[in-house]
Amino acid sequence: MMKKRGNPNGWKIALFLAPVLLLFGAFFLYPIIFTAWTSLMKWRGIGTMSFNWFQNYAKLLSDETFRLSIRNNVIWALALGFIQVPLAALAALILARGPRGWRLLRTLYYLPNVISTVALAMVWVAMYNAQYGAINGILKAFGLQGRNWLGDPSTALAAIAGQSVLYIGYFMIVILAGAMNIPLELYEAAKIDGANVLQEEMRITLPMLRGTLVTSVTLAMAYGMRHFEATFLMTGGGPAYASSTMGIALFLKMDALRYGEASAAGMILILLGTLVIVLIRRLLGRDDPMSGTTG
Amino acid sequence: MTVKASSRVIAIAVLALLLVPSFMSAQTKELVLKWPCIWVGKDSKAPAITEIVDAFNAANAGKIKVEIEPQPDYNAYEQKVRTSIAAGQAPGSIFTVKLNATTKEFYNSNLLMDFSADLVGVWKASFDSNAVAQSTINKKLKTLPFETGVLPIWYNTDMLKKAGVTSIPTTPNEFWAAMDKLKASGVYPMSQMSGDTNAWTSMIWFSHFAVSFGGADVWSKPFTDKAFVESAKLMKRIFETYTTPDAVGAGAGVSGGHFLAGRTALFSNGPWYAGRADLRATPFFNTIVIALPPSMGPNKGISVSRLQANIAAGETTDKALRTAIIAFLQYLTSTDNIRKLAASSGAMFAVNSGYIPLDPLQKQFYDLVASSKTTANDLEVALGAEATLEFAQQLGALALSKVTPEEFCALVEKRIDR
Amino acid sequence: MRRPFGLTTAIAKLAKWVFLLFMLAVALLPLLWLLVNSVRTNLELQVSPFGLPARPAFENYRNAVAMTNLPMLFANSIVVAVASVLVNIAVASMAGFVLSRESFKGRRAIHTLLTAGILVPIISFMVPYFTLVTKTGLYDKLAALVLVDASINIPVSIFLVTSFMASIPKELEEAAIIDGCGFAQRFVKIIFPLSRSGLVTAGTFCFIYAWNEFIMAMLLTSSVSSRTIQLGIRFFTSQFITDYTGMFAAITLSIIPSVAAYVFLHDKIIAGLTAGAVKG
Repeated sequence: MMKKRGNPNGWKIALFLAPVLLLFGAFFLYPIIFTAWTSLMKWRGIGTMSFNWFQNYAKLLSDETFRLSIRNNVIWALALGFIQVPLAALAALILARGPRGWRLLRTLYYLPNVISTVALAMVWVAMYNAQYGAINGILKAFGLQGRNWLGDPSTALAAIAGQSVLYIGYFMIVILAGAMNIPLELYEAAKIDGANVLQEEMRITLPMLRGTLVTSVTLAMAYGMRHFEATFLMTGGGPAYASSTMGIALFLKMDALRYGEASAAGMILILLGTLVIVLIRRLLGRDDPMSGTTG
Repeated sequence: MTVKASSRVIAIAVLALLLVPSFMSAQTKELVLKWPCIWVGKDSKAPAITEIVDAFNAANAGKIKVEIEPQPDYNAYEQKVRTSIAAGQAPGSIFTVKLNATTKEFYNSNLLMDFSADLVGVWKASFDSNAVAQSTINKKLKTLPFETGVLPIWYNTDMLKKAGVTSIPTTPNEFWAAMDKLKASGVYPMSQMSGDTNAWTSMIWFSHFAVSFGGADVWSKPFTDKAFVESAKLMKRIFETYTTPDAVGAGAGVSGGHFLAGRTALFSNGPWYAGRADLRATPFFNTIVIALPPSMGPNKGISVSRLQANIAAGETTDKALRTAIIAFLQYLTSTDNIRKLAASSGAMFAVNSGYIPLDPLQKQFYDLVASSKTTANDLEVALGAEATLEFAQQLGALALSKVTPEEFCALVEKRIDR
Repeated sequence: MRRPFGLTTAIAKLAKWVFLLFMLAVALLPLLWLLVNSVRTNLELQVSPFGLPARPAFENYRNAVAMTNLPMLFANSIVVAVASVLVNIAVASMAGFVLSRESFKGRRAIHTLLTAGILVPIISFMVPYFTLVTKTGLYDKLAALVLVDASINIPVSIFLVTSFMASIPKELEEAAIIDGCGFAQRFVKIIFPLSRSGLVTAGTFCFIYAWNEFIMAMLLTSSVSSRTIQLGIRFFTSQFITDYTGMFAAITLSIIPSVAAYVFLHDKIIAGLTAGAVKG
């Protein structure tokens, strides 16, 4: 039990924290303050700026397409947090038991993350092509109708998110690393008690992984809130803004030299993202770094 | 050594190695003009530009050196230009800008050199006066018009013949009849597109319609004007009936790809496209005919064209540097060099170099420009980035009947900065 | 390694393998597509994106290798990626140590602040980064990219590393203190080695991020001598033309180091760890 008085290692702690705080300050705090400051400005990307206070925010929030972008980001957060992570966890739990070729599988699952997102996006644009794409090809083989997946406002978002959640490599590694850190003795004890695989996973693995899982879901939802690249490369946010996200809206504002508004969009993104994360952590239980191994 | 300590040493060593070059600076009195240049690599103007820059550097050895910094990725280049200017720095001593309703904002920045006092006399006379007028905003000339382009319709007459269309349509009736014949022969007449940030091919078609309905300065009218609504109706009809099925959401690569593969008969793009190797390799290359589309409205014979690239320079108080920059720009835009550029790339320029192309396709472009009495801007140049983006986004909705032509126009109007 | 599945149900076994293989197909498809198309011509790609080449167009690879300055671009990418991992891990492990195992005022606040960085859309930081880098004289230097890539990954690394470090049993540290270990020694001798798994994971993510990073690399460098491989690949595009298949060949070449790094780093160290497991 730790007594909460002044830590005698105070200056050493400060020393250990100094580098990270310096870099973080320069590359996160400064830009965020810059963004917050310029979000209150009328700024057209040239030298002069003038205060227009919260007009940028008002303009964005009253813009139907921006609100649509916000809704899309929430969908992304939910899809990544509650579809991608569970799929990754499932794969991780299976691989942790060392089935045949598990090492190879582990490497292969992560490979898509290693190649550039541009290449990945190109593949899926080709897959979803209405005329000669593989998806429609498979559907037609089963006698079903093909669709213009990326060109139809009602399917574009689902198509992009649908393929995205299948790329589990990133979270699978994190969860697998955590799962492999669980002491074997726990499983041996359970086996003696006569537990089967499912019971072992439910009673030992999942509770031991709780922290890692909450971490993964939180991380996934954060990525969902700032989602940008895959959608931008595949549909540019369209058609009719159907797949747009706040990140895309922000980027396109800069294209149009509406830098003040872009900054406001950035601030809204950060604030909403923070809200989502806080909510999720409250819901799933806090990931307390000081709690050590939890039961 | 512990892991931590050894990794620290490595980190410091690596960082030191990286920073060492920064302490070594070139000792030279040569004026270096940095040019983040997009005409590199596979661009059709790259060979000529390299030649021109090398010749200039040789002639000014020891005094002025133009250093090209290759920027093959155009979108990334535009990002760089915008970001530099927003951060208070010119992207280079020389750089190019696509002048449109959005980028004209750069004229309000004091980072760009004003050429009004420099572009005089013989130098000024060599430029097309319209282009210069278009590049002059509030009496300031902060970019020089350089590359221009007319945006006609390209016809694969081989495909037309096979469908029983014997001549290029010149009236609306002939046009629709030709489209129907093409469809009947089992091909897609056009490959429209609503993707990318500007729905390029379709944007050009729309521009032709708009100016024929509303005249060359239709763009100053509100977008809810009848001219635009009628044009939207035509686009809807074309998207529904006469285009490839992947049109909604398609990008420029897809749209052009259909034409190059001989799957569609009509296309639209500028003269720079004529220099493409893959175009020249197509079996129908020699049958391509360039023409303005039939005027759908009362205004006839207006050719849609644009300033494709303007040249800008980073403002400087250093007199010697300024003189050097002007000297290079004069060299670059000299009639001899423009001729060299035009001949090797198929592109067209705002400088009258007297060049007459031998290549038949190129010549068609030159003839078209020569015979154009009135020119008009296209939508992207006239209305800027945000409105064009809205146009592209909503074009898909229009094609799928999720918005009416009137609603479509109203949505775009909201984004126009007036 | 835990004992293997004792599942007797054939259905469960089948389901397990269907799932694994489906995910594998999804993961490998882009790579296969990339590989196949890297030896096709652009025309073939246009006409049918999922076909096979009439004859393998190995000239794509010859062109990619002949790409001006390829070795230099590769070297730059390696320097940037390795250096940013070293900086990132050094900085994150030190901070993670005190954040996960020391108690002090503001600990939770600092942890929250650092990890909140995950929410931030880096894309919106182009102007401030440009300003920062030019004003500190780091423009057009690889050091700028190293610092940027290392810093951008701080939130994720802190997130992962503190979580891993927190799970190391207190008893190990307490035993070390009894043995006379000081503050720094606890870090160097106990915590840092035991959290290797988390550090390697974080380092791998950082390496791959730095290797693939394009936007800041494009923005913060200008001369060819400071460019990374990702910028080199863009040579296969120009204003209106993209030599897709040529680019695919270049991309395939550029993947090799990241894949190698991932396979080497991760496989070796995790394998080593699991052989002994964490002694309780």
